[in-house]
Amino acid sequence: MRQPLALLLLAAALGAAEVLPEKIVFNRDIRPILADKCFHCHGPDPGTRKAGLRLDTEAGFFIAAESGDAPVVKGQAEKSPLYQRLITKDKDDLMPPPESHKELKAHEIALLTAWINQGAPWQPHWSFIPPVKAPLPDVKNVSWAKNPVDRFILARLEQAGLKPEPEADARSLIRRVSLDLIGLPPSPDLIARHLPKDGARLSDAALGKLIDELMAMPAYGEHRARYWLDVARYSDTHGLHFDKYREIWPYRDWVIKAFNRNQPFDQFTVEQLAGDLLPNPTEEQLIATGLQRCNITTNEGGTIAEENLANYAADRVQTMGWVYLGLLTNCAQCHDHKFDPVTARDYYSMAAFFRNTTQGALDGNVKDGRGPILVIPTDADRPRWNALKQEIPAAQAALAEQRKSAAPEIAAWLKAVKAEDLQKDVAEGLLARFPLDEGKGVPAGTKSAGTVEWKKDGKLGAAPAVKKGSTLELGEVGKFDTMKPFSVAAWVRVAKAEGTGTIVARMEDRNAARGWSLFQGGRNYGFYLISKWPDDAIKVTTTRPSVRPGAWQHLVLTYDGKGKAGGLTLYVDGVRTEIRAEIDKLKTASVSEAPTFVGQRSQSEFLEGEVQDVRLYDRSLDARHAGLVFKVGPLARAVAMGKPNAQQQAALGEHYLATRHQGFRKTGDAVARLTSEQETIKNRNPITHIQEEKKDSEPFAHILIRGAYDKPGEKVAAAIPAVLGKLPEGEPRNRLGLARWIVSPANPLTARVTVNRMWQELFGQGIVKTSEDFGIMGAPPTHPELLDWLAVDFRENGWDVKRLYRLLITSAAYRQAAVMTPEKLAKDRDNSLVSRGPRFRMDGEMIRDLALAASGSLSPRMYGAGTLPYQPENIWEVVGMGTEKYVQDKGENLYRRTVYNFWKRMAAPANLDIFNAPSREMSCVRRDRTNTPLQALVAMNDPQFVEAARNLAQRVFMAGPNEDARLQAAAERVLGRTLRDDELKVLRGSLKDLRTHYAGRQAEAEALLKVGESKPQAEVPAAELAAWTMVCNQLLNLDETITK
Amino acid sequence: MSLLHEWQSLETRRRFLGRGANALGAAALTSLLGPTIAHAAPGTAATHFKPRAKRVIYLHMVGGPSQMDLFDYKPGLKDWYDKDLPDSIRKGQRLTTMTSGQARFPIAPSKFNFKQFGQCGMWMNSDLFQHLNKNADDICWMRSLNTEAINHEPAICAMQTGNQVTGRPCLGSWASYGLGSENDNLPAFVVLIATPTNREQEQAISSRLWSSGYLPGVHAGVSFRSKGDPILFINNPAGVSEDVRRKAIDGINELNRMNYRQVGDPEIHTRIQQYEMAFRMQASVPELTDLTKEPESTFTLYGEEARKPGTFANSVLMARRLAERGVRFTQIYLNNWDHHANVGGRMPSQVKDVDQPCHALIEDLKRRGMFEDTLIIWGGEFGRTIYSQGGLSKENYGRDHHPRCFTMWMAGGGAKGGAIYGETDDFSYNIVKDPLHISDFHATVVHLLGYNHERFTFKHQGLDQKLTGVLPAKVVKALVS
Repeated sequence: MRQPLALLLLAAALGAAEVLPEKIVFNRDIRPILADKCFHCHGPDPGTRKAGLRLDTEAGFFIAAESGDAPVVKGQAEKSPLYQRLITKDKDDLMPPPESHKELKAHEIALLTAWINQGAPWQPHWSFIPPVKAPLPDVKNVSWAKNPVDRFILARLEQAGLKPEPEADARSLIRRVSLDLIGLPPSPDLIARHLPKDGARLSDAALGKLIDELMAMPAYGEHRARYWLDVARYSDTHGLHFDKYREIWPYRDWVIKAFNRNQPFDQFTVEQLAGDLLPNPTEEQLIATGLQRCNITTNEGGTIAEENLANYAADRVQTMGWVYLGLLTNCAQCHDHKFDPVTARDYYSMAAFFRNTTQGALDGNVKDGRGPILVIPTDADRPRWNALKQEIPAAQAALAEQRKSAAPEIAAWLKAVKAEDLQKDVAEGLLARFPLDEGKGVPAGTKSAGTVEWKKDGKLGAAPAVKKGSTLELGEVGKFDTMKPFSVAAWVRVAKAEGTGTIVARMEDRNAARGWSLFQGGRNYGFYLISKWPDDAIKVTTTRPSVRPGAWQHLVLTYDGKGKAGGLTLYVDGVRTEIRAEIDKLKTASVSEAPTFVGQRSQSEFLEGEVQDVRLYDRSLDARHAGLVFKVGPLARAVAMGKPNAQQQAALGEHYLATRHQGFRKTGDAVARLTSEQETIKNRNPITHIQEEKKDSEPFAHILIRGAYDKPGEKVAAAIPAVLGKLPEGEPRNRLGLARWIVSPANPLTARVTVNRMWQELFGQGIVKTSEDFGIMGAPPTHPELLDWLAVDFRENGWDVKRLYRLLITSAAYRQAAVMTPEKLAKDRDNSLVSRGPRFRMDGEMIRDLALAASGSLSPRMYGAGTLPYQPENIWEVVGMGTEKYVQDKGENLYRRTVYNFWKRMAAPANLDIFNAPSREMSCVRRDRTNTPLQALVAMNDPQFVEAARNLAQRVFMAGPNEDARLQAAAERVLGRTLRDDELKVLRGSLKDLRTHYAGRQAEAEALLKVGESKPQAEVPAAELAAWTMVCNQLLNLDETITK
Repeated sequence: MSLLHEWQSLETRRRFLGRGANALGAAALTSLLGPTIAHAAPGTAATHFKPRAKRVIYLHMVGGPSQMDLFDYKPGLKDWYDKDLPDSIRKGQRLTTMTSGQARFPIAPSKFNFKQFGQCGMWMNSDLFQHLNKNADDICWMRSLNTEAINHEPAICAMQTGNQVTGRPCLGSWASYGLGSENDNLPAFVVLIATPTNREQEQAISSRLWSSGYLPGVHAGVSFRSKGDPILFINNPAGVSEDVRRKAIDGINELNRMNYRQVGDPEIHTRIQQYEMAFRMQASVPELTDLTKEPESTFTLYGEEARKPGTFANSVLMARRLAERGVRFTQIYLNNWDHHANVGGRMPSQVKDVDQPCHALIEDLKRRGMFEDTLIIWGGEFGRTIYSQGGLSKENYGRDHHPRCFTMWMAGGGAKGGAIYGETDDFSYNIVKDPLHISDFHATVVHLLGYNHERFTFKHQGLDQKLTGVLPAKVVKALVS
C-alpha cells in the first residue's frame, strides 16, 4: 500500500515514541488510553455508563456484557469485540463514537491490540497496589550514587541518555540547603563555619553537620509549618460573608512545635484527625484537632443550617482526600467518581466521620466561632479556670434544685399576687410612670396638641401613635440636674429605620439645647445630656445598629450623675448595650426649663412610632433593676388581665424567684459571678478552635442526591472507601478509627502522598506532579519505584520526618548544580527526570523573609497572634464588612517571620497573594508558580522591601569604607556568594549613577530613606545612603535572589 | 484543538524561537504581553468562531436589584396590596431564613410608575430612569434569569463562576484565558469597586470573585483602586523617580542576563521581560487614571459624579478608558442593592447612581465605534420577592432574596438590541416563558466571545472543566443579533 508522503513524514517525525514496547504494561500503556477515551461512558459512574459495559474493572473485560459477548478474548485481538469496535468502518459501531470528539490514534490502537494479543494482563490502578521496596536498579555510574534515591534517579537518566550535572559548588549548596530547611538564606556566619577552606565541594560529613545545625534551629519548624498551613487551609478569619476574626493561632503554633520536636508523621496525623478521641487527651492533642476547624464558615443571615453543615463536611472530606489519600474524593459529592473507584456512597461514608461533631452551622461572626473551643489559660489563671469547671455546674445544679423545691410557694403566690405588688418591685426612686395604655382619649397625666390615634397592637394594651402634631406633653416631671443621677425607661416601637426623632426628652430647642433626650438616630438609639451644645454636653449612641423598626423594644437609660459619658448606661430589652461617646464634654450643672415630652423636644425632632410605659427615676438603676423594669410591665399586665397563660406563669415564677426567694437570688448571683469570672478569664487568654465528637450519637450521614443538602437519600455509616478495604475489626467507627487506618500499612496511599509532597518542597514538583491526585486521571509518577521505596522507607522508619529530608538532601540528585544545558532543555525541560539540581522561584513568604533576614531586621520572636505588617492603604476596605480597617502593627511585629502574618481570607496579604499564595479558602497541596510584572512591582516598591534595602545598605557599611567590600558583603547576605567581576562592574556603575542623581536632590534622598518605620542612620549622608539603598533594592530584585 | 494544545504548540514555537519559558511563563506572556510577543491575532487564532465581542464591561449590581421595581412591570398587582401571596404561586419553594419564619407573605406592589420606551416597548420604571430609557432599543432585555442560590455569597459566586462553591475561575478569567491580551502594558482583566451613594446595607465583595480558580494565576483580575495606588505597588517609593527606576531596572536586567549565561534557565528571560512590562505599566497607569485630559463633554455625558474617584460614574468612565486601551474584561461591582427594607427610600439613589453612567457608556462607545464589539452586561446575583419583608406600607417595603426570576440586560458586542426575552407570572415569582438559567446566560456570553461553551475548557483534576459546569446549558440565539 502506498503511504501518502505526509503520513510518512509524520511517522518519521514522531520517531521513537511510536515504537511499541516489547511487554505491554497495563497501568503504563493501556489504562491511560481507556481513562481518556472510554471511562466517561464505561467507567465507574453508573449515571453515565452505556450498555452496562465497564472497562475500569478487570471483570468488565472478560465477562459477557449486555450484547452477549465478553469484550476481550485473551490472546486474540481479532476475535475481541473491543478491538473490532475500534477499527470498524461502520460509523454506528465505531468506538469512541464520532460525536464524542474523542478519537484513538493509530499508535493507541496498536497498543491495545498488542495488549490483547499478549493475553490482556490486567492490573489495579498503581496507587491502590500497596507499595513495596523494589530492588535498587542497576546503573552504570555506580559511584555517583550517594544513597538509594540516586540509584532510581540515575537509572532513569541513563535510560534517557542523560548524565547528571556535577555537584553544586559549596556556597550554592549551603544556600540551597539553608533555604530548604529553615526557609532563610544562610547568614555570613553560617557560611563561614561550613564553607570548606580550599574552594572544595562540601564533603558528606560537612553537609551532615550543616543539616544538623539547621534542623536544630527553631526556624526549621517555622518553615516546615508554612507548607502544612497551606495544606490545612489555616487562616485567621472565618472566610465567608463578614469574614471576621477567628482565633485559632495556637493551632498554627502547635504545627511549628510539632515539626521542631520531629513528631513522627503518624502521630502528627492521628492527633490532628482525632486528638479529642484519644484516651485522656492532653491540651496539645486537643489543639491539634484545629486542622478540622480551619475550614471556611459563614454567619450570613438567611443561610440554611443543614446546607452549611453539609458544606463544612464536604470541605473536610475534600481536604482529607487531597492531603492523605491523594484522591479527588470531592468529585464523588454529586455522583460516583467518573474515573476513580470512589462512589457517592464512599464519599458520604467519609463525610460521616466528620459530621458527628458539636460544631454549629453559624460562626456568629465572633472569634470563638461559637465553639467548640479550648481556652489556653496562663499559669496564673489556670487554677481558677480549672476550678470553675466544677464550681459553675455545681452552682447551676443548686439553682435548679431551688427552683424545683420552690414550686409550691410559687403556686401559692401566683394565686394571691396583684399587679401593684409587681410595680412595687421597681418603685424605689420612681418619680412618675405613664402607662399610655388607655386606648382612647388623651392618656392620663399628659397633654396633646392633636387627636391621639390609638394602635391596637401595643406592647401593653393599645398604644398612642406619636408623630408631629400629636406628641404627648408630660409637664414638669423629669426636671433632672445634669450633674445628678437619674434614669428614664420606656417601651418604644419606631416606624422607620431611616427615621430620627425623640422618644422621651426634656430639651430646649433654644438655650443651646439644654436638657436631656433619649432618641432614635436611624438604626441607633442615643442620648443627649446637655448644658450647652456642643461644648458643654454629652452625646452617646449605640455602637452597633440596635433599632428594629416595627418591633417593640424596651429602653432603660441610666445615669450616675458624675458628668461623664462613661456614667451613662443603656439597656435594650434588659440587656446592656454597648454605646460610644460622640461628645463627652459636660462641664456644668443645669436644669432644662422646657416641658418634658414624649415624641419631641420643646419644638422639634418628632418621633414617628409608638411609646408606652414611660418611667422616670431620680436615681441610677443597676443591671438587675434595669432588667426588672423591662420585665415588670408585661408581667403586671398579665396579672391585671387575669388568667396568665402557661408562658406568663413561668415568667412570673422566675420573677418570684428573682425578687422574693432569698436563697435563689444568692445562688443566682453566684452563678452569674462565676460565669462572669469564667468569661473574664476566657477573654484575657488565647482560645483555639478544636474538634469535639458528639457523645450521644454514632457517626452517620445521608447520601445527598446530586450533592444537594435538601435531598437526603440513604443513610450510611462512617466507612473508608470500599476500594481501600474496611476499618479493621475492633477499631472504632469514628475519626480515631479512620486516623489509625490512615497511617496503617493497610492504606497504600498516605505514605506515598506524604513523601511526594516532601519531595515537591525540595525539588519544586512531586514525583507525582498532581500531588492531590494519585487517581487514574492524575499524573503518573515519573519514578514509580522510587516513590514506593521512599514511602515504605518512611513508614518503616517510624514516619521520621527529619530523617526523610536528610535522606533527600544528602542524595547526589539533590546536590547537583542547577544548570540548564541545551541538551537538558530539549530532553528534560521541566526537570522531571532530575537531570540537574532544583531551581525555582521561591514562595512569597520566603522572599519576604529573605529580605528581612538579609537586611538584619528579621525578628526572632516566635508564636502568638497574627502580625499585621505593612500593607497598601485601604487594603481591606472594599472587602470588609466590619473589618474594613487594616490597622498596621508597629515596632517588632513589622519584622516578624511571614508565617505569623495575619491571614484574612477575603484579602490574603497582598505581597504574598501576588506570588501565588493561596487564599486559604480550601486546602492547597501545591501552589501555582507564575512569573508576572506584578511580582516585580512588589519586590521593587513594597515598603517592606524598600525599607529592607535601606537596612541592608546600613548593615554593609559595617564592612568598612571599601566600596567593593560593601558590595560583596551585601551580595553574600542576599545570594550567599560573592560577585564576579562583571557583576561588580554593573553595580559600581549603578552606584555611580545613583550617587550623581541623589547628590543634587537631597529632598528625594531623604524621602526615600523615610520609607518604613525604622529610622535611617543619621551619620551617613542622605544622598550616599539613598544611592546604596537603591543598589540593595536591585540586589533584592535579582532573579537569583528570589530563586532557590 | 483544545486550548491546552494551543499552548503546547505555542510553547513549541517559542522554544523554537529560543524564547523559552515554562508553561506558566508562557501563559503569563499570552495574557499579559499581548500580541507582539505571544500569539498573532488575539481572538482569531484560538476562538472557535469569529467573536462578536472583543471586550466586556460587566456591571455587577451587588445585593440583587428588585426586578419588579425596575424592569418587570406588574400592573395587575395594585389591587393585591397587603394581600397574601397565593400558595399556588409560592408552591412551598424554599426561602431564606430571614423570611421563612414570617407568619404571612403580604404582597408589596411596586410604588413606582412604569412607561414603555423605544420601538421595542420595554416597560421601565419611569419615575427613576431619566437617561437609560433612551437606550431601550440598544439593550437586550432578559427578564427570566434564574439561579439556585438564595444567599449572596453563593449566589454571586454562581453568577461569576458558574458554581456556588468558591474556587472556580470567574467569567473575566475565562475571557482573559480565551482571548488573551490586546495591549502591551495593562492587565487583560481589571476589577473596579464602585462606592454607592447610599451605603445602608452592603454585602461582602472579596477577591475570590476575581480569582482565576484553577486557571493559571495570570488570568486573575487585577483590582484597580480608587484610593491609594490604582494597582497595588504600582507607584515607585517616595524619592524614586522614573529615571532612577529605569536605571535600577537596567542594572537588574543586566545582572539577570549575566546569570542566565551562567545557569541557562529560560525562566530568567521571562523575568527580564516582566520587569520591562512592570516599567511600562508604571508609565501607562498614571495616564490611564488621569481624567484631566477628558473634554468637558465627557462630564456632560457621564455626569459630574464621574469626576469623583470611586463613584459608579467614575468607574464606568474608567472602564471606557480601559476598553480603549485594550483591556479585555472590566468588571465593576456596585453595592447596596440588597433592599430587605426601605425600597422606597433607597431605590432612587441606587438608580441615580447607574442611570446616567450606563446611558453615557452606551452612547460613548457608539461615538467611538466600539459599541459593536464591546459587550456590556448589567445585573445582580438574584432578584427579590414580590412579598414584603418587615413593615409594609404603600410607599415603603422591603423585599427578600428571590432566585427564581430576575432581570438583567446586555448591550453591544453582538447582543440583540431591543430584544425582550422571557416572561414571569403576574407576581414576578415564577417564569412562565423562556426561562434563562444563569448557565444559559454564561453559554451565550461565551458564544459572543467566539467560543462553543462545551469546548471552552481547561484540564483540571483530570477533567475538562468549563464555565457552564456539568449540567446542560444552551446558547440562546434570541439574545444574539
